Amino acid sequence: MTELRQAARIARTSALYEVLQPGRLAGAGAQLGVQIFLTWCLWRALYDAVPASSGLSREQAVSYAVLATLYGRLRGPDRDVAGDTVRQHVWSGSIVYWYLRPVTPRRYHWLRAAGDQAYGLAWAAVTYAVCRALGLIGPPASAGGAALFGLTLLLGQFVLYYLLALVDVACFWTLRNFGVLAIIRLASSLFAGAIVPLWFFPGWFRAISSWLPFESSLHVPLSLYIGRIAPADAGRYLLVQVVWIVLLALALRLAWRRADQQIVVQGG
Amino acid sequence: MGELVIEALGLRKVFRGTARRPGFGGALRSLVAPERVTTVAVDDVSFGVRAGELLALLGPNGAGKSTTIKMLSGVLVPSAGRALVAGHVPHLDRPANARRIGAVFGQRTQLWWDLPALESFAMLRDIFKVEEAAYRLRLDELAGLLELSSFWKQRPRQMSLGQRVRCDLAAALLHDPPIIFLDEPTIGMDAVVKEQVREFIRYQTAERGRTIILTTHDMAEVSRLASRVVLINEGRVVYDGSLADLQKEYGSGWKVRVTFAHGAVPPALPGLVGTAGGEHLFAGTDPAAQRHLLRELLDRDDVEDLQAHGDDLEDVMAAVYRKRAETTR
Repeated sequence: MTELRQAARIARTSALYEVLQPGRLAGAGAQLGVQIFLTWCLWRALYDAVPASSGLSREQAVSYAVLATLYGRLRGPDRDVAGDTVRQHVWSGSIVYWYLRPVTPRRYHWLRAAGDQAYGLAWAAVTYAVCRALGLIGPPASAGGAALFGLTLLLGQFVLYYLLALVDVACFWTLRNFGVLAIIRLASSLFAGAIVPLWFFPGWFRAISSWLPFESSLHVPLSLYIGRIAPADAGRYLLVQVVWIVLLALALRLAWRRADQQIVVQGG
Repeated sequence: MGELVIEALGLRKVFRGTARRPGFGGALRSLVAPERVTTVAVDDVSFGVRAGELLALLGPNGAGKSTTIKMLSGVLVPSAGRALVAGHVPHLDRPANARRIGAVFGQRTQLWWDLPALESFAMLRDIFKVEEAAYRLRLDELAGLLELSSFWKQRPRQMSLGQRVRCDLAAALLHDPPIIFLDEPTIGMDAVVKEQVREFIRYQTAERGRTIILTTHDMAEVSRLASRVVLINEGRVVYDGSLADLQKEYGSGWKVRVTFAHGAVPPALPGLVGTAGGEHLFAGTDPAAQRHLLRELLDRDDVEDLQAHGDDLEDVMAAVYRKRAETTR
């Protein structure tokens, strides 16, 4: 019980940050609302001239785009704002305290991310329900598609967590990661199909994207949701996701182990 | 004094990194062929601390005090030698070690920057799995000693330095650790808060029996709190012993300045080294001689003013480093 309480307490930190600051909470809600509305307007306007493009109908494209906007909220609040990333603690030297608690830094980092994700999921679920009621998002193409959407979405979040955590933990050596983070953020938006669905890109771009970890986080689940990928074809995508999870999880484990042994505290 | 609870056994810490050459060309050269730099921060440091003892770990900036504390608290892994805290090697099982120790690094906070301090305390309560009743009791006691309740609903970013460090002290003690590491806890504080924190530290050893290692540059703090000091210079221990012995060994002795009433005939007392402007200066190294002189002078009716000086600890410290530098030259 105390184990669960400890995990829950760490996990809920970001949510507490937002709830204790009503301005930030209202701002986040307003931002999401405006983003969804503009995305919906944009994609409807784009499709006014053509009934289908790159094999996507207007309903599919609009649902995809609005869901992609919602996806931005799925990862929860930016932990940078809370000043609780490895980079920030390494830079200020307060990383020492992560090693003075009965929870390993690796577990703490993981629990914080899981909490952020759960909080983001709650936001996304409520907003999804509102969007469905307003008709901004269509229903899933099939029950199988919906189930696989959930599964691939979950696995995709693992992929992203491990990737971002790896970049964060790298700060034990690099101290800063702004450049790498900017590249990953751009790549994860572009190759995941968050800006424009990957179906609109040329074949060579899609070929590259299919082997990168980003596609599995967004493009695959949303394509299953709108029915652009048939549930029967989901096997290959799931396999790619699992391979990325295993590779990145091993790399992260190794990075934490080395960081734990070689930690240097900045500023004496 | 109890058994040894903290042991540094030949501790050594070497940091390896790269040095940037100056200028644009130098930066480019460093990119292609980085210059490797090795820094020995701590070298063969050994000492022990007994249960209930307060040890002051002193030394100039960059001497290796903080690195030593970080090895003893299990944050850093020693390059050589061994640290033992309550019989365990701290870095091998950090979560278990964390339950036995508390730590405050004065220039850094462990509180969550944007959460009210009370929320941070509750977070630490659950992280350390402290029972609710014990937590309430301890928090009440800490709040009383450190006067936290007027600002503990604020976020650390809204607090003054003194308020923030007091909250950090409470945070470090919520799980009731028997051993505490304090790395410059009073740095940058005003005199009033400093005094409050000193009294808090004194209470933790005297009344609670906690073992404390304290690093500080404040010599008034050292003479007030510590009976034993370990001096580190350039990564090595240069003195380990009592404060009194340190003063005896490296101090320049005592001085007594006396002003006699106008027309009085000054007595012939031992230790007189000079007179100037009606003031008589006595000096010596034997504390018993100083006590005897003071007794003699206090019995007289013609003494108008009397000032007794011991060794200034700052001067003693400087003398230690000077003498050590001379012997190693």
